[in-house]
Amino acid sequence: MIAEVENGQIRAITQASDYPEQEYNPRGCLKGLSYINLIYGPDRLKKPLIRTGAPGKGEFREVSWNEALDYAATKLKEIAAKYGPESIGFIFQVGGTGYVQKGAFVALSTLAGWNIHHPYDMNGDLPTFYPMTFGVQSEEAEPLEWLNSRYIAVFGSNIMVTRLPDAHFLVEARNKGAKLVVFDPNFSATAAKADEFVPVKASSDAAVGLGIARVIIEEKLYDDAFLTTYTDMPLLIREDNHKRLKAEDVQGLSKPADVPAYREAYVAYNGQFLAVHPEKFDLPENVILEGEVEVTLKDGNKIMAKPSFQLLKESLNNYTPDKVETMSGVPKDTLVRLAREMAAAKPLHVVYGASNYQWYHGDLKGRAIALIPVLTGNIGQSGGGISTYAGQYKIRMNLAKWWVPQGKAQKWLPWLYVLHGPTKTMKAKYPANGLKALITGWGNPFDQHNMANKLREMKEKGELEFVMTMDIQMTTSGKYSDVVLPVCSWYEKTELTATPVHPYLQLQQPAIKPIGEAHSELWIARELAKRLNPEFENHYFPSLDENTAAEKVIEMLLAGGGPNVAGITLDQLKKGPVRFKSAAPGNRQIPFYEQIHFKKPFPPLSLPAKIEQTGQFLKSGRIEFYKDEDAFLEAGESLPVHKPPFEESEYALNPATREKYEFAYITRNSLYRVHSNHSNNVWMNELQDGKPRVWLNPEDAKAKGIRQGDYVEVYNDRGKVHGYAILDPGNGRNCVVFEQGWWSRYLNGESFNSLTYPFIKPTNEVYFVPGIWVPNTAWNECLCDVRKVGDKQ
Amino acid sequence: MKLGMVIDLERCIGCRTCTVVCKEHNAQPPGIWWNRVFTPGAGEHQAAVGKDGKLQMNYLPVSCQMCENPPCQKVCPVGATYTDERGVVLVDYERCIGCRYCLAACPYGVRQFNWEDPRKAKAQVGYQDGYTYGYPKDVRAKNGRLVYTQDRPVGVAEKCTFCVEYTSQGQEPACVLSCPEKARIFGDLDDPNSEVSRLVRERQTYRLKEELGTAPKVFYLAPAKEQL
Repeated sequence: MIAEVENGQIRAITQASDYPEQEYNPRGCLKGLSYINLIYGPDRLKKPLIRTGAPGKGEFREVSWNEALDYAATKLKEIAAKYGPESIGFIFQVGGTGYVQKGAFVALSTLAGWNIHHPYDMNGDLPTFYPMTFGVQSEEAEPLEWLNSRYIAVFGSNIMVTRLPDAHFLVEARNKGAKLVVFDPNFSATAAKADEFVPVKASSDAAVGLGIARVIIEEKLYDDAFLTTYTDMPLLIREDNHKRLKAEDVQGLSKPADVPAYREAYVAYNGQFLAVHPEKFDLPENVILEGEVEVTLKDGNKIMAKPSFQLLKESLNNYTPDKVETMSGVPKDTLVRLAREMAAAKPLHVVYGASNYQWYHGDLKGRAIALIPVLTGNIGQSGGGISTYAGQYKIRMNLAKWWVPQGKAQKWLPWLYVLHGPTKTMKAKYPANGLKALITGWGNPFDQHNMANKLREMKEKGELEFVMTMDIQMTTSGKYSDVVLPVCSWYEKTELTATPVHPYLQLQQPAIKPIGEAHSELWIARELAKRLNPEFENHYFPSLDENTAAEKVIEMLLAGGGPNVAGITLDQLKKGPVRFKSAAPGNRQIPFYEQIHFKKPFPPLSLPAKIEQTGQFLKSGRIEFYKDEDAFLEAGESLPVHKPPFEESEYALNPATREKYEFAYITRNSLYRVHSNHSNNVWMNELQDGKPRVWLNPEDAKAKGIRQGDYVEVYNDRGKVHGYAILDPGNGRNCVVFEQGWWSRYLNGESFNSLTYPFIKPTNEVYFVPGIWVPNTAWNECLCDVRKVGDKQ
Repeated sequence: MKLGMVIDLERCIGCRTCTVVCKEHNAQPPGIWWNRVFTPGAGEHQAAVGKDGKLQMNYLPVSCQMCENPPCQKVCPVGATYTDERGVVLVDYERCIGCRYCLAACPYGVRQFNWEDPRKAKAQVGYQDGYTYGYPKDVRAKNGRLVYTQDRPVGVAEKCTFCVEYTSQGQEPACVLSCPEKARIFGDLDDPNSEVSRLVRERQTYRLKEELGTAPKVFYLAPAKEQL
């Protein structure tokens, strides 16, 4: 972005349009371009504040930085001494948008022994099927690659609203001849641009994916060489205990000596039993995918075993076109036709949107839908694969030197446990005394992460003894905080950023002086560090001013950042964005290119995790559809299946909801906000008449006596929210859609997240790697009802 | 020279980025929008139109259509509205008397009126330290007329100028530069080699309310999908 500055103030913002590939220019949408309303708006914080009134009331006194920092440091030291430092939690929101400033506080949390809440799962953006199936956090084809697709199947992703700068690639791909099909309960803006819109019942996508997979398998349209080489499909599963058969248990076989501890050698059969090396894709083509074999174990026992593919094929008998029509509402002939089309068109790219996986069974849906590009051999190909496009989570370089001082162990606490409480099956460590203090920045958790009103109650009841917020503006979270610190906006500090979608490293440089007394987070971290423990300060270049220190950090990160940033310099970044390196031609971002083309084992690294951490997800070194960990077996989910929504969540929590609440409460992203950001942007609010909207199908509205513009209440036993009814014939039946992100001051003090609930699914607790294999927030797994409370205004 | 614009509705995704950059660069106060994007037929922007499974959602950006035969210019009793040598319809803010005939005459509803002092309107937002936004300098046409100023006087009419502050210096209008979908093409309709001329010549374009004989210089390319 370019800020046009006159007399020290930004008069207008324009996209810089300096990506070397013209196709990416211009990047930036109505929100970023109207950011001046936040920089200079009435909610901008100019001085440090200490709360004087009740939490949430917004009563503060202005204090000096010294007083604010001394107060915060004293409280944090007291709480750490009383309850342990792990009872202090730090929320930093999406690492990709701030390696330097966010890293400063991750480092301080590490030094001080605080818990860190990873934003990816907190936000519900983690596609849990991805670590299960491909062993990675997530992977995404860059939008330029969409132009190479012949077929794009979108399952519940609204790219035309949530990926505005990339949306044109979808239109262009279609104009180049790719077929664009959108599966969604709602006729979204993306559905409107599609060749074909396929309405589905809410959260029934697994049935659709499995139905398509069944047609592909029954009609032998799958790529058996791909399945044999790269997937777990040929690996034998024991019928006695439903576990994968290990080579070391089979008579005459042994585990190769060079198999790492986090891997396992399994078994395939081609007339002989073969020990399958987890780091070599060298199985002969004639291994069986179907059938059943008798195996003699080392102890002499004989058992029966079947390849995963055989079991999948059997399991897919539950997903005949007739049955899928009942489960999903997709007509059987349509399903069969689409399956044949998808199998015939290469490359095929599947987009599985976050709104679709922010459900209790989001993992199952992803595993089911992933079958389509895998069965057809579309992984690792230009224009092919499966992508998610949610969140700015991705760490693209080695940040350890800045984020993890002295290699100290970090403590991570998944956010859902804070709201839900600990579970018996959790692998993460819950603090002995619970969460007593919260440090937040770059976000507004008291609106955005307040499921069932829990977070606000924790503060109101005094359970949370101290909250410190760093922000450019006074948000709802600020009002609930004991100390509020004014920070520099993006245009007032130095920062290094990278998004997962398009593979560029970018520098943000100050265009104006900080407003009021604002400082960068690096400076705040340094000042706080000094007060907590004088030794901590050394990590933060204490002799340098904050922007020079930030540049030093960037130079340090570039020097030790690893192969993705090899050779990139600060000077280069000052001139414009620089493309990351990759193994694919032209440094293109094509997920799993190395695995498929250079036969490297799955998974590739998901930074900052080590391969020992993520390698254990796929012990076979292959794409896995059969999961044999106990939690999967107990849930009946060793293979992907369709489970309808609410059965294991809402109905299990309270059986009465089955009769009481018939509407799904969907909190989608708004065109006018980035989550909670821009909720107070005066122009964005003018464009929507300043009104929170509740989207309903006209038939449902009619049954409820609701007309366009009526003031309605959406409610369940946990909470409520009000808004103005929009009757949209494209809205799915039995869905109430509310656009999330409104600050509660626009909702009469209510929270749209007072209705939602922090469900935790046991399969998401099988391993614990922060932000990668962890319970994910299921915003949309929520039932409600709606009623009219007032006439049109 | 005859400056014109082609808007490709196949590419338009209704994101309203053009609406916002227009407001920002041209310093429009709260309540005034020179450039709007609608979802024709829908009760709300980006709601579907249709029923029984036959649905569509198309968008229509509407700003000054830069008519060759502009009704607003004809009714202006003081000659404040005029067409410059580039074919751009402009308002002289020093000559406008605020009679609002032009607002009534414009068939496209794009003319906006400064009912209150824009500085006061902006102050009501509560910006810090008297902050104001938009292109900061006055722009006078060759004939000396004031065709752009950051805060227009109370009681004058205003509208899209094809970003006279930028296009008079050879740059493109903000909406064209900033459209993330590259749906807007700007250029000289008198130049047969320009992209706008080529599109008008080779593609099937239409103009809004063509039957009125206003002869707009803003052309639209229809969305490719079948219309309900």
